[in-house]
Amino acid sequence: MRELARFLVENRVEVGGLLGEHLYLSGVSVGVAAAIGVPLGIAATRSRALERPIIGTANVFQTIPSLALFGFLIPIPLIGGVGARTAIVALVVYSLLPIVRNTHAGIRGIDPALVEAGRGMGMTDLQLLLKVQLPLAASVILAGIRVAAVVSVGIATIAAAIGAGGLGVYIFRGIAVVNDTLILAGALPAALLALAADGLLGWMGRRLTAPGAPGAERGEVKPA
Amino acid sequence: MRGWLLAAALPLLAACGGADAVAVGSKDFVEQDVLAELISQELEERGVPVERRFHFGGSKLTHEALVNDELDLYVEYTGTALVAVLGRDPIHDADSVYTVVEEAYLDRWDLVLAPPLGFENTFAVIVRAGDADSLGLEAIGDLAAVDEEWTAGFGPEFMSREDGYPGLKEAYGIAFGEVKQMDLGLLYRALDQGEIDVAVGNSTDGQIAAFDLRVLNDNRNFFPPYEAVPVVRRETIERHPRVWDVLQRLEGVVTAEQMRELNRTVVVEDADIPRAVRRWRARHLRPGKTAPIAPEDTT
Amino acid sequence: MPPGSDADTAAVEFDRASFAVHRGPTIVRELDFDVASGETVVLVGRSGAGKTTALKLVNGLLAPTAGAVRVDGVETTAWDPVELRRGIGWVIQEVGLFPHMTVRRNVGLVPELLGWDEERIAERVDDLLDRVGMPAGRFGARLPHQLSGGQRQRVGVARALGADPSLLLLDEPFGALDALTRDRLQREFGELMEELGKAALFVTHDLREALALGDRVGVLVDGELAVIAEADVLLESDHPEARALAATLQPPGELGGG
Repeated sequence: MRELARFLVENRVEVGGLLGEHLYLSGVSVGVAAAIGVPLGIAATRSRALERPIIGTANVFQTIPSLALFGFLIPIPLIGGVGARTAIVALVVYSLLPIVRNTHAGIRGIDPALVEAGRGMGMTDLQLLLKVQLPLAASVILAGIRVAAVVSVGIATIAAAIGAGGLGVYIFRGIAVVNDTLILAGALPAALLALAADGLLGWMGRRLTAPGAPGAERGEVKPA
Repeated sequence: MRGWLLAAALPLLAACGGADAVAVGSKDFVEQDVLAELISQELEERGVPVERRFHFGGSKLTHEALVNDELDLYVEYTGTALVAVLGRDPIHDADSVYTVVEEAYLDRWDLVLAPPLGFENTFAVIVRAGDADSLGLEAIGDLAAVDEEWTAGFGPEFMSREDGYPGLKEAYGIAFGEVKQMDLGLLYRALDQGEIDVAVGNSTDGQIAAFDLRVLNDNRNFFPPYEAVPVVRRETIERHPRVWDVLQRLEGVVTAEQMRELNRTVVVEDADIPRAVRRWRARHLRPGKTAPIAPEDTT
Repeated sequence: MPPGSDADTAAVEFDRASFAVHRGPTIVRELDFDVASGETVVLVGRSGAGKTTALKLVNGLLAPTAGAVRVDGVETTAWDPVELRRGIGWVIQEVGLFPHMTVRRNVGLVPELLGWDEERIAERVDDLLDRVGMPAGRFGARLPHQLSGGQRQRVGVARALGADPSLLLLDEPFGALDALTRDRLQREFGELMEELGKAALFVTHDLREALALGDRVGVLVDGELAVIAEADVLLESDHPEARALAATLQPPGELGGG
């Protein structure tokens, strides 16, 4: 443990650089996954025909072993090759399911009476989505993004195998030369990063949820 | 029906053969798998049961497996043994390296060095042929002109070894602007695609010919010689004397050209290593006569 | 209660309207009646008789599979659905107040959808909340979960009146309340309707409520309108369903208004 601390301090510039790369990889992926996944989740709630393929595809993506997906993407033109871009594509794929599924579940879980009330009073579909459904589903959707973030930080360690950098560089190096300190120098900061992301997004989730909506900070007060 | 029974029984048979079989290992790159397959087929042909445990891991991991009796045999490179395993300073005379390693291995771990297979696989500093021509790059020292702007790509081991990047930096006074670490197998693609400008691969890698690349000359003789030698446990030889026979006969059997060609065949053409090795053996070795023969001599 | 001034065009016209589920049962069959402007018509019937379906045919949530339904003389299928609904006040049993919006915002929602300016909305909200007995000063900033059932339904009615629609549709609005609250709200609602002079189509399973609140009461039996008449006429009627229903009323009768 002390050796690890010494290594981290001595190499703090490199550690910082790898941490930054790692943050970049997972941050960008989760961002892109949210930008794609939330609309997809919304689309899945609108149309029974789209629901199964969308959720089904996201499910299938999740089952692909991560190292295999990285390798599989390499020879593909445009999105493939060696480096950060390919890693981000793979990470987006893994981040999609929690986000799509939670968006879908969050919106479906809204009391149908509310949807009926909204439609009945003359809201357009867009108004219903923006004024009612998204605010009420917000905490569930954000929980999905939180899961995606933690998953992404973890899987981003593999990105080092395909030249994308990140804390995995230390892990692979440590494995190659049988050096536990090196392995931990990669694994520990990655774990801490995952915890931090989880905590930060959890806090954001609570702050962004409107009072009165499910998951809000204030507890429910049941009237007599 | 019989086919199914046999297939089902194979795992059992393999496990049974375990106790008596010779466990042949290889490090985690293609050339290693090829050489290990070569030795395995030669052993099997002479009636020695073999258990293949290929693509084991990095140098240190594979070495430790050999020491701990998880492996009986694998192919090492003398320079790697000297610097990475024994932790000594590089020496540049091939014979001296061999002798030092031979003695130390026997002394410390009861491991025997077989005669060299006939080629050297050294670290190769590789650039795109186009860059070599336009920038006049012939030797590693020439990189001093461009190192600061360039991105280098290494495998995970190269960063940590004394005969790796740290030593190279000192010997040549170069430091690359950016360094990317990746699986060895991906370096050439990365170089070709422009993700990196210089890669440190292995001199016998098949992809060097496949992409339009050039190896820079080690003008300051930084890298020690890396002769390919099988390393085997002494007690394995006592258990299976034929193993030693086979290894003796493989002395000088593979030239660097041939190794590179065999690697290239596997990586670029036919990924089926056992089949490629069988073909190569049929062309270059004859039963009982293992000295290299010219291609015209075969049918 | 005399109907409103422009009595020529009925607020709602059911013209032999039917609704059948695709390849399934017919829920309502050949409904044929009008709701005059300013009039309150109550449809009463057992659960499953098609009362909610009848309402949904008016605001276009459902389209008739035979016949037609007209609002302000125009067929519901010809209306732009969003415009149609914004012009109708819609009150449902569960109320459906949006839990993440304050009472004020809930009530001002239809004006918000119509793009009224903030001041106008605020004025309107204050006025409506007063009328339903939920003064804005005390209740405006509360969230729905902080209100009792009765309070929520008052807000629901205020919300339905938000943009001053000339027609209200109400689906068993007081059904989920306890008897005391229900009685009180019925009374207040009756007074409010008299005051405002709006047309209303109200459905309920409670005959007493129907008789109390309706200018005319229609009896729905298995999706068909068995009879529709003024309250006192209904009670005197020879119609078997009317007789059956009348019999369910308590003798020391709380018979509705004359």
